[in-house]
Amino acid sequence: MSKGLIVGGSFGNLFVREKTEENLEIGELLKADVKEGKVLFEVIDLEFGSQLNKQTLEMISGLKLENAQEFNIIDANLRLYTIAKLKPLTLICNDASTKTCKVLPKILSEIQQITKDDVVFPESDNVLFLGNLRSGSKVLDVDVVVDGSRAFAHHLLIAGTTGRGKSVFMMNLLWNSLDKDYCGMLVLDPHDEYFGRAKVGLKDHHASKDCLLYFTPKDPPVGALSLKIGIDLLQPSHFNGVIDWSPPQRQLLNSYYRVYRSDWVRAVVLEKALPFNFNEQTLAVVKRVLMNLLNLSAKEDTLICSGVFGLGSGKTIVEDVTNALSSGKTVVIDTSSLSGSTELLIGSIFANSILSSYRKKSFSELRKLPVVSVVLEEAPRVIGKEVLEKGSNVFASIAREGRKFKVGLVAITQLPSLIPKPILANLNTKIILGIELKPERQAVIESAAQDLSDNDRAIASLDRGEAIVTSCFVPFAVPLRIPFLAKRQHSSNTHKLDFGGLT
Amino acid sequence: MKFAHLADCHIGAYGRDVKLKDVNKKYFIKAVDIIIEEVVDFVLIAGDLFNTAVPGIDSVKLVVSQLKRLKDKGMPVYFIAGSHDFSPSGKTMLDVLEHADLGINVAKGDVVEDDRLKLKIVKDLKTGVGITGMVGKRGSLEKSFYHNLYTKHFNDFDGFKIFLFHSALNELKPKALANMESFPVSLLPKGFDYYAGGHVHIVDQASIDGYNIVFPGPIFPNTFYELETLKKGGFFIIEDGKSRFIELNEFPVHSFCIDCKNKAPSEVEEELKRLVSGKSFEDAIITLRLKGELISGRPSDINLNEIVSLFYDAGAYAVLKNTSALCSKGFQSINVDARDVVDVEKAVIEQHSEQNSFEDKTTKDIMKALSAEKLEGEKNLDYERRLFADVDNVLDDVVVKEE
Repeated sequence: MSKGLIVGGSFGNLFVREKTEENLEIGELLKADVKEGKVLFEVIDLEFGSQLNKQTLEMISGLKLENAQEFNIIDANLRLYTIAKLKPLTLICNDASTKTCKVLPKILSEIQQITKDDVVFPESDNVLFLGNLRSGSKVLDVDVVVDGSRAFAHHLLIAGTTGRGKSVFMMNLLWNSLDKDYCGMLVLDPHDEYFGRAKVGLKDHHASKDCLLYFTPKDPPVGALSLKIGIDLLQPSHFNGVIDWSPPQRQLLNSYYRVYRSDWVRAVVLEKALPFNFNEQTLAVVKRVLMNLLNLSAKEDTLICSGVFGLGSGKTIVEDVTNALSSGKTVVIDTSSLSGSTELLIGSIFANSILSSYRKKSFSELRKLPVVSVVLEEAPRVIGKEVLEKGSNVFASIAREGRKFKVGLVAITQLPSLIPKPILANLNTKIILGIELKPERQAVIESAAQDLSDNDRAIASLDRGEAIVTSCFVPFAVPLRIPFLAKRQHSSNTHKLDFGGLT
Repeated sequence: MKFAHLADCHIGAYGRDVKLKDVNKKYFIKAVDIIIEEVVDFVLIAGDLFNTAVPGIDSVKLVVSQLKRLKDKGMPVYFIAGSHDFSPSGKTMLDVLEHADLGINVAKGDVVEDDRLKLKIVKDLKTGVGITGMVGKRGSLEKSFYHNLYTKHFNDFDGFKIFLFHSALNELKPKALANMESFPVSLLPKGFDYYAGGHVHIVDQASIDGYNIVFPGPIFPNTFYELETLKKGGFFIIEDGKSRFIELNEFPVHSFCIDCKNKAPSEVEEELKRLVSGKSFEDAIITLRLKGELISGRPSDINLNEIVSLFYDAGAYAVLKNTSALCSKGFQSINVDARDVVDVEKAVIEQHSEQNSFEDKTTKDIMKALSAEKLEGEKNLDYERRLFADVDNVLDDVVVKEE
């Protein structure tokens, strides 16, 4: 169906005269035939076009307003119209492959609406469904998919203003990847929203019993795990990026760890002796910080643990989580009742464990393992410029070199500009939702895998549930509609148990 | 109210090792002696009373005689089947004991709405305590039972309630048993005052999310590793809410671990002789673990028989030796951090993965198919056919690695 004709412009900015009543929209996808196949375009701007000059138009409007006369323009459709500005996205070759577009269609070529057969996303063994292809505000029956294994390893950024659908998108991502054995997901959930205690969530997925581990520090529902971490599993390096230790404090921690090994926290709190001298105040500060952060107290010569960190429990939690992730499971940790620092410390423990476990694997071993992705809400808290200026941490290490070891990040934020440019550029797949603030849009546009310099206005006008995906794993910056409830298959217990020996 | 909580008696364990089998039985008798002396109201056995579902006559005789002593003293015994003595057919020696009125199997119930299992609560006549429990199965397969448990009626029972279980719990697993199959504490039904655990051979008491969970460990350590780490057996006596661990260590365990790295067999022998020289090991159980790569000679060059004799001369009751991690130069050992046969198999398959033309999963599936046991009443021919059919099924989906 013809939507208009090309009437001029240049390669990156084609002018199309819109066919009357076609009502083109910003972000709409169109196509034009060329010898090699068809060029896919996106509408980046719309403006008025007219055969009448400005004075004439002003005169007509005056007559209408001041004299209230019935005034009709003869052949109005021919004289007044809309000009759409188009940007080429990709060339879809005759064999259905895609290439960077380097050709222009002929002038006065027809511009047509795309159909579901025009755009096909490359199939792979590790398909990850992101949403449906969107053309303006219309949703096409085309699944936008990427190779999940590669996309997760190369990190994802989900950026958008509050209320634009970041959590819904993340929920869909987790839902769609839960039963996939090519990826393990570690989710630090500060809002306790993904498991779905009180509403539909991952617990309702048909594979949740086998593929989901949910840890919570408060009243675990049936089948969930109590978040208890053995205090002897802590290492001084876990505090990197969580607590800004001074050099003497860091030395003190490391000394205690060298001398007392897994019992070092108890040794600090109970002020056990060290073979070297340290300033008493340094010990006092370190002790106070540890006691606050880990919710510890001391009575005579006994350490009392009152929070998530315990003495008698959680001795295998790090190994359990690491094993679950490396067998493709999803681990959700409810951190809603924990302080920000405690949450990051817990994330740091698990992220360190999985990264160091994968680092030790040989290339052939790594090939067999699923990619593991660490989901970080409010990502600038750990990979923000300010934080990293004080020292690196495991999340920054994952962003920089995790790809080599099949460990990736999913960074969620409304303020991408706070993430340093090199790290932002490393987050290869970007899911861009509506962003109102210009500096935040600029940050994602400048670091996108595809040229988005003309999409500034489109990003600002993205409605709730609309997104643009840029990635080296999609052929062009793909407009996306996030399904509110993705293709969700709820759990159903059809298997009848045999209670033999019990009845 | 006063009760005893035992688990993992494993009567009949240690197979052909008559001496250790005997110690195991002696510890069980000792436990019953102490329980009778303590005058408890009732006794809980949280699984694996026997080492198999159908134990030998000697084991049955011993257990029957001891349970009869408790019965005669008016101390009822409440038990559940564990991973060793459970049978899906219900045909276990525990069933015989129950029919002989020597104990009550509290892991019994009915299937009610939504195909859920409604466990019956047995009320102890003397104390009014409500007791119920869940069996343990190999590989923690009882987990699915917990997922399908009807629990509403538990709240209707007024008074002290005890839940017996025979499973490892994720939150309370010790580091050494990290690979053991387990499930979350939250799968246990809520609202009981005492959760009497078994299966995990550790001594532990923990309060987690309102669950008061107790693992007494075995009556007597069950493996070489357990003898090395636990050294003793025991059980709990709970009196008015306060627990007391009763140790059983009539035969003290002395463990020696010798690192033979860069040593000649003669040096190792000398070191072992020094260990025993001039010392008394009266009635002791000795564990000798030799590990590392000898600088010369072979492991068999170490005259361990002589060393064992020296320990016996010093009064030892039993001497156990473990040389699985001992090797000579040129003989490559496979290091396996494992506690049971399944772990060892898993690790060996993984370490030989490169030489194996099947995927590891296929190898494991074939081994699993071939390790299926003969069902009760199943004819040899049918059993054979079933095994072949299972292996065929695995091979139908086989994935052969590319060369």
